[in-house]
Amino acid sequence: MEAVYELLKAVSKEHFMENMVSIPLIQPVIDNLLNIPLVGYVVALILWKPMFALLIFPGLLTLMTVLLFIIWFERKLTARIQWRRGPLEILRWAGGIIQALADGLRYFFQEVIVHRDAHKPYFIQLPILIFIPVLLPLLFIPAGSIVGIKTPYALPVVVAIVSLIPVFIVAIGWASNSRFAYVGTIREAFMYFAYEIPFILSVVAMILVYGTADMTAIVEKQTIPGIILNPVAALVFFISTIMATSRLPFEIPEADQEIAFGPFVEYSGIMFGLVMTIAYEKMYILALLMSVLFLGGGNGFPIPLLGDLAPVIWMFLKTMAVMVALAFLRSIYARFRLDQALRLSWTTMLKISAVAVLIGAALNIAQVA
Amino acid sequence: MSEREGEREMLLDVPVEPPVEMFLPIPRRFLEDAYRNDDYIVLVGPQHPGSGHMRIILRIKGDIIVEAIPDPGYVHRSMEKLAENRLYIQNIPLMERPAIMDTGNVTLGYVRAIEQALGIEVPERAKYIRTVLAELSRIGTHLYDAGILAVFLGHTTGFMWPFALREPVIEAMTRISGTRITSSFIIPGGIRRDVPWETLEFVRRVTYVLERRLKGFEKIFIKNPSVIARLKDVGVLSKQEAIKFGVVGPFLRASGVEYDVRRVEPYEAYDSLNWDVPVADEGDSYSRFLVRVEEIFQSLSIIRQAINELRSIPEGNVISPDVLDGYEEASSDIRGYFYRVFGNLVLPYGEYTSLTEASRGTLLYSIISDGESNVPYRVRVVTPGWYYLKGFMESLRGERLADLQAIYGSFGYFPPEADR
Amino acid sequence: MIKIKVRKPDMVENIKLHLDALLTGVKEAVKPGTITIEYPRERRWLPDSFRGYILFTPENCISCFQCSFVCPANAILMKKSENNRYYPSIDYAKCIFCHFCVDSCPGSALRQTKIHDVVYIDLDEMFCPTENMINPPEIVREDEYTVEYLMDLDIILKRVKERDDLIPEVKPVEIIKEYSSCYEPDSCLACGICVSSCPNEAISITSLDGEKRLKIDADRCTGCGICVKECPVQILKLVKG
Repeated sequence: MEAVYELLKAVSKEHFMENMVSIPLIQPVIDNLLNIPLVGYVVALILWKPMFALLIFPGLLTLMTVLLFIIWFERKLTARIQWRRGPLEILRWAGGIIQALADGLRYFFQEVIVHRDAHKPYFIQLPILIFIPVLLPLLFIPAGSIVGIKTPYALPVVVAIVSLIPVFIVAIGWASNSRFAYVGTIREAFMYFAYEIPFILSVVAMILVYGTADMTAIVEKQTIPGIILNPVAALVFFISTIMATSRLPFEIPEADQEIAFGPFVEYSGIMFGLVMTIAYEKMYILALLMSVLFLGGGNGFPIPLLGDLAPVIWMFLKTMAVMVALAFLRSIYARFRLDQALRLSWTTMLKISAVAVLIGAALNIAQVA
Repeated sequence: MSEREGEREMLLDVPVEPPVEMFLPIPRRFLEDAYRNDDYIVLVGPQHPGSGHMRIILRIKGDIIVEAIPDPGYVHRSMEKLAENRLYIQNIPLMERPAIMDTGNVTLGYVRAIEQALGIEVPERAKYIRTVLAELSRIGTHLYDAGILAVFLGHTTGFMWPFALREPVIEAMTRISGTRITSSFIIPGGIRRDVPWETLEFVRRVTYVLERRLKGFEKIFIKNPSVIARLKDVGVLSKQEAIKFGVVGPFLRASGVEYDVRRVEPYEAYDSLNWDVPVADEGDSYSRFLVRVEEIFQSLSIIRQAINELRSIPEGNVISPDVLDGYEEASSDIRGYFYRVFGNLVLPYGEYTSLTEASRGTLLYSIISDGESNVPYRVRVVTPGWYYLKGFMESLRGERLADLQAIYGSFGYFPPEADR
Repeated sequence: MIKIKVRKPDMVENIKLHLDALLTGVKEAVKPGTITIEYPRERRWLPDSFRGYILFTPENCISCFQCSFVCPANAILMKKSENNRYYPSIDYAKCIFCHFCVDSCPGSALRQTKIHDVVYIDLDEMFCPTENMINPPEIVREDEYTVEYLMDLDIILKRVKERDDLIPEVKPVEIIKEYSSCYEPDSCLACGICVSSCPNEAISITSLDGEKRLKIDADRCTGCGICVKECPVQILKLVKG
């Protein structure tokens, strides 16, 4: 009886209203909506901070918007640098902004071909299962006071889950059972080992700097952004992010001209649409992480009218800045060879990430002292 | 109309069986030997996204290429046989087809062989305009190859910029000849029509635009560290090797041999213009690329000089009176007289050979005439791609598999040109 | 001879080269050198000599067959029309737009246009009979602007809000009067092939004292040269009038 009561209390409107996103600008509207019986419950649920984190920011809605936007923006920016126009014809007055949506629709109506040699169950399941490690970190990333799951171990958890993604990609390559997929998978595995260590070291350096792994605390501590405190770690993190999302100049596992999209070569239709977005989703997560660790997360000028939404907006802008920087690189660099990338990360990157850890340790000691 | 064949519904119910035995143009012993030595055979092409319509059979140990065997001929169109049943003049558009961007040089070679047979001296003005056209095609081809190299390296801007820079070149060719690429503008005895001064001035301006825009290209692609890393010390051909394997053109010059047909046997207006032959010593992919980049600048300079020279040559008279034979009205514009002048062109008995420096290297035409028919008895075409194929394959030896694309791009190997 | 020397850049140079590349990218992102012409809405200005769709003026045609003889792609078919003369028709599935035919036409009956974007439903429709060649083909023109590349230190796109006239005025070829004549009448077989081949009925065979003689009416002869090609003993040739 007690348990049922507890459960009812947990899903009650009042419980949601205790921990709600406050937006002074539209507060009267929200108040009115809350008084309507069923709608009020839904509004309270959506504005309940963990649910807001899940559905609005950094969760579903933002993720979708970012995906649609960044694919379009990347193409547009690349086109601009390359003296072209880029996507234009779909919704012409807005510069073809819904191009990614149109492409998605096209993928949706294309036939999904599962070839004879593929391991059928894994081949179909893995691109869907991969969304678990891709989306789970979103729960732990805070925007101001809005956070899905608040835990002091948020940072290690996120890093651990993100590190799972390549395992799925390797599995996808295995299930595809094709030569190009095989070569691409091997390359992905090599790159995985190469970037993972500098990546984790740079995160460790930042944990040392702040003395905590709780992301909310990290954001609060950043009166000076982390990128100024430890620029070396920021550099390592940025380069690891490029490698992890396999963007140029480290677009080695997917190398179009060499191995024709590597692990994903056999996918078609909406399945290709799914695997194609994985890299962008990973990029989104890592950009969020970067904005939390180095750019001060939701810190920024408070906007009284927006209340809890102000950190959301600041963080969104910072994340987008990181993503745009990543997208920009695509039109600047050629692809390195696998051995060159490996040499770079196992020597130079490892060295400077060790320097980053040293700087972090020094700052930690200075703080303690 | 409904009875047309294409509109009938067709049922495709063909049982598809994988081929049991695949044809490979290599001896069986080679395959067995490779497997026994724990090497494996990789077939690159003919539909590989990183190569043209050509197959390269690679024997690989780990990641290192032990041996590369070419399997060309996928785009063979039997140019030489086709040329045997066409009028001499009809072969001009045909000979353009293999190397489509290189139209100026390719037609120039064929036409010069005919002129040699007929003993025609080309008017001065036509000579300079032909030089301009040939150099424009050279720039176009080098830019095209740079773009393909960039694609191979995954550098998208490096692909788009040269293709955009080709646009002014093509615009210049359009204004000169009336069409974008397959100009068919050079005819025996001269050129089809005189080029007005405004057009030449436009071409001169194009050279400055190209020079200006190539500066940005140099920063973003040519001197890009990632490009240098991919190309430097990759696919090295030493001077001796390059000579031994018969490499031609800029790829021979990249290995330290100063050989340029334009220098050795000057044709058209080349000996009266001031230009240099770029040579590099390294013989690696990067110097092969840089030599061609430098050649673009030399070509720009040649075009400017040629146009300056054209200033002092009076307009009109661009077709040699020897070939016009009574139709002197056509000496500044062939319009209206083309068939009457060239329709019954018959070469005297004999074999006539011309060497031309096409963009990718030495181009050889050899026309054999029986002296009475108005079609050639035999036309032999050896394109540069075919010459340097062996050197290309040898330079792959000992490199990594991922370097195949870089070396391929650095040679600018163009299968339609090599296969003819 | 220019010696190209390259050495591997050291660390400092490398960083400089990285920065150079990045800055060039930023510069282009801020102020791009876009050279795209948005084709259906804008049309590129083309020179009058542009080799496009070929138009035909039957009044100027002398049925000389030269266009079909010179065509490298065998795209021109001469078809007999109602007035007993042969007129060209072009198969655009084969045509390579070399305009050898236009350059061959002695009477400016064929002339070039700047039309290069005609759409056909299938290959059969690409065969363009003579009557369709007289008037320009129907094309949908969405363009409002004509764009010209100006080269003035950089590529400048000059947009003018007007439609380019796709059918340029072509200066007609100066027609030189030629007619067929027999230079060795004694060798004539009087076989009558030239008589039947002549589209203008300019040749006739007259009997004079039992000896058959070729008579060519220089006024009616258009100088097409078909009889010259047909003559089995090759005793006819074109002479300037």
